[in-house]
Amino acid sequence: MNPSRLFRLCRKELRETLRDRRTIITLLFMPLLVYPLLSMALHRFLLGSGKPAETPYKIGVATKAEADLLDRWINSPLAMPPEEVLEASGEAIAQFDILLTEPSDPVRALEAGAVDVAAAVDNSDPGVPPDVTFTIFRGDAAGRSARRILVERFQWFKLSRAQILASDRRGRTRGLDDPYRPPMTVAAAEIGEEEPTSMLGTVIPLVLVLMTITGAVYPAIDLTAGERERGTMEALMASPVPRSAVLTAKYLAVVTVAMLTAVANLVAMFTTLWAGRLLPLLTGDDAGFPWLAVLQILGLLVLFSGFFSAVLLSLTSFAKSFKEAQAYLIPIMLLSLAPAMLSLMPGIELKGPLAIAPLLNIVLLTRDVLSGQIDAVATAAAIGSTIAYAAAAIAIAAKLFGSDAVARTSGQTIGSLFRRPVRSRAFPTLQMATMVVALLVPFYFVVSNGLMRFLENAGDSLGLEARLSLNAVALILAFGMIPLVSAWFNRVDLGTSFRVHRPSATSIVGSVLLGLGAWVFAHEVFVLADAAGIRGLTEEKTKQVLKVLEAWKDVSPVLLLATLAVTPAVIEELCFRGFLFSAMRRALSPAKTILITSVLFGAFHVLTGNALLLERFLPSTLLGLILGWVAYRTGSVIPGMVLHFVHNGLLELAAKYKDSLTFLGEGLDTQGHLPVTWLITGGTVAAFGAAAIWFAGRPGSDQATNPAVLPNLPVKT
Amino acid sequence: MLVIDSLCKTFDLPAGKLCAVDDLSFQVHPGEVFGLLGPNGAGKTTTMRMVLGLLEPDSGFAEVEGARTADDPIAVKARLGFVSASDGVYPWLTVREMLLYFADLYGVPPAEAKTRCEELATLMDIQPLLDRRAGELSTGQRQRVTLVRGLIHDPPVMLLDEPTRGLDVVGVQTIFQYIQELRGMGKAVVVCTHRLDEAERLCDRFGLLHRGRLKHLGTLDELRGQTGRQTLVQIFVDLLEGN
Repeated sequence: MNPSRLFRLCRKELRETLRDRRTIITLLFMPLLVYPLLSMALHRFLLGSGKPAETPYKIGVATKAEADLLDRWINSPLAMPPEEVLEASGEAIAQFDILLTEPSDPVRALEAGAVDVAAAVDNSDPGVPPDVTFTIFRGDAAGRSARRILVERFQWFKLSRAQILASDRRGRTRGLDDPYRPPMTVAAAEIGEEEPTSMLGTVIPLVLVLMTITGAVYPAIDLTAGERERGTMEALMASPVPRSAVLTAKYLAVVTVAMLTAVANLVAMFTTLWAGRLLPLLTGDDAGFPWLAVLQILGLLVLFSGFFSAVLLSLTSFAKSFKEAQAYLIPIMLLSLAPAMLSLMPGIELKGPLAIAPLLNIVLLTRDVLSGQIDAVATAAAIGSTIAYAAAAIAIAAKLFGSDAVARTSGQTIGSLFRRPVRSRAFPTLQMATMVVALLVPFYFVVSNGLMRFLENAGDSLGLEARLSLNAVALILAFGMIPLVSAWFNRVDLGTSFRVHRPSATSIVGSVLLGLGAWVFAHEVFVLADAAGIRGLTEEKTKQVLKVLEAWKDVSPVLLLATLAVTPAVIEELCFRGFLFSAMRRALSPAKTILITSVLFGAFHVLTGNALLLERFLPSTLLGLILGWVAYRTGSVIPGMVLHFVHNGLLELAAKYKDSLTFLGEGLDTQGHLPVTWLITGGTVAAFGAAAIWFAGRPGSDQATNPAVLPNLPVKT
Repeated sequence: MLVIDSLCKTFDLPAGKLCAVDDLSFQVHPGEVFGLLGPNGAGKTTTMRMVLGLLEPDSGFAEVEGARTADDPIAVKARLGFVSASDGVYPWLTVREMLLYFADLYGVPPAEAKTRCEELATLMDIQPLLDRRAGELSTGQRQRVTLVRGLIHDPPVMLLDEPTRGLDVVGVQTIFQYIQELRGMGKAVVVCTHRLDEAERLCDRFGLLHRGRLKHLGTLDELRGQTGRQTLVQIFVDLLEGN
């Protein structure tokens, strides 16, 4: 579907939902209602940080002597603030209860929360003034407030004593040379975990979850279950637009409303806080308006809105009425708060399986982004998997939406999602492709991460052969099995959907030539990307890679080719230029199909285990474009496999035998640009290959995916 | 032209299997109004839904202008206009916005859709309604808007499911005029109804469905010859009593 048409469909959904006063209430009135309440809560928090004067702070000390001494100092008239300070603070004088914590240590009592401050007075050396130490628990607002007042009191005390001493000296002539001795020294100490720098990282994820979910709920129900209630569903389903397109337009509308709601909420929130001078409380400093944080939050908002809109749409698409949809959504809203609450807990980090845990990952990501501690791999995994989950939810929604437009007779249940269709299909649908990609992201992340961890634990006990074989197995499990299971489950014909058609001999020759020549361009792109600073490998990792390449010299070339050339060539081609290609080709133009499959191909080469190999994106995408074009021209997945095999095999053998290839001259060993002669040779070979494929591919050679000549497959029961 | 060949559909109900459509075959030619008649539950709506691709037949096929629903549902839907008595409207959109939305769904280019919208609005006398919110319309007005909606993409085949249900005399008259217009435009029209008296006045040929099976097929004269009865009502009474 072209973007302008999609825009028009989306505009209709937006008109419909934004003209409805129920949307407007959520969009505008909620912020007006919520933020004064939130502001009040924050005020309460702020006031709570300085206890009301009538509630005394508790100071724990170990001995009676210390308690007496402290009491004498703290409550001495000398320690009281001057009149003008008292007046300015509304005559409020903080009260202190000095508690003996014997036999336990005051710090223990502090840890147990029995006291606000633990105090210790070291009076052991009569030659020096007593040393007073006040210990508080990090992040405890009451303790911090109490200690501040205590330190101030001691300052007043010392100041008063110094003033008295000074006025005494004016009346006397003797003793003028006696040095001033402070009555005591005061030190501050802290225990407990590091205090979070700001509340922003803990409050915002919670607010984002609430905002986006609130914004998305009504339009999600209205645009799906609402179609049934209005009686417009049957006419909509009778129109010649794929459900996925209708759903995409609805999804974009729901995302827009969710984001508008969230933006309205953010504006209201920041305005309330700014006006109430509460911003520093949230941001943790007085650096002014947190523009960067606001921008980051807007970016994160897209993730949250995208995720929730998709999840809500998949649920409301199943509901037959407003009431039913609401019944589904209430538990979801409550459930969503649990991960949001988790972000408030220390010790939970965005890594490993949590990086791909739905919702929890973006909540943790928000916390990390706002506290400025981002891990690139975890961030990529969180964003990638969230996009995948949203895509999966939309695919489910598209399957459910309108499937019971004829509710009386179709008997649609949630179980039907897991039931295999009765009829066979020649090609996978776009929904199936979306679902495959959506499953691939988390599955591949888990498999490759698990593999990395296993290999790291195994250390040197596992030989390179075993490592290479395991890599190949992981590839087969992810990119081989998921499309295959999808094809089996959806009763899609394997031959047509994986595009396994017999190619012409010319196209094979062309693929070999293209494979022999194409690598020079891939290498150049790699070098250019590297020069542009796109690299994910650290020096240490590069050394590791070089070490592995060195070790390849001892590995059998057959195993090397089998694991790193044959397996990727067969499995990745079947997945990207087979299943995904044939699904997309049914709905999209050849150019778009080639582009999207290439970008996916490039993206999956970036995320491998625990490293983000960004420098692989451009060369892999370029290779994907070439492979996509070959697949389109030849109408088959096989020439692409040959090209892929030749390309990978050539590079691996070159790496293995690079010491024996010195006769080729300089160039192979460098990380820089290839010599011009190499480029010309590679370019010429590739051009011959491309020409062979161009002529081998008959016009309309991709007719296997042309809807007009779909074979009518038999019904399987 | 619409071709229906050996269509079958069985539903699994808690009470057992229900054969809703059983080996149904008929054809409708351009400029012809075909009445698919039968009592409630005869299988008329199920047949329409199979033609539209909203339900999958167990066997057989429906073909519209050479495209089969099972093979290329999108192409079939693009060639069909569908109007049902149970059709609703989008209450917050104006009539014009709703018509243009459906034109867009059917792939009519925006400029052409605007012209077509004006032409049809004049034809069906809904010009004054174009800029009103659909939610404010009366039942009769909604019905006319829905009829225009079904024609917005100028389909060669029209399916009308119980088009007169819930309408007053004026509303029914509008439908009659509409169907005459469709015949004049050379469209193949299928009218599903259980109102036999209306069908007799409207349709050129009839298919009489009972419990999913096509009992009689032909013009009124052919049916009279087959059954010896004069009216569709009498023919149906015989059918029902025979079972």
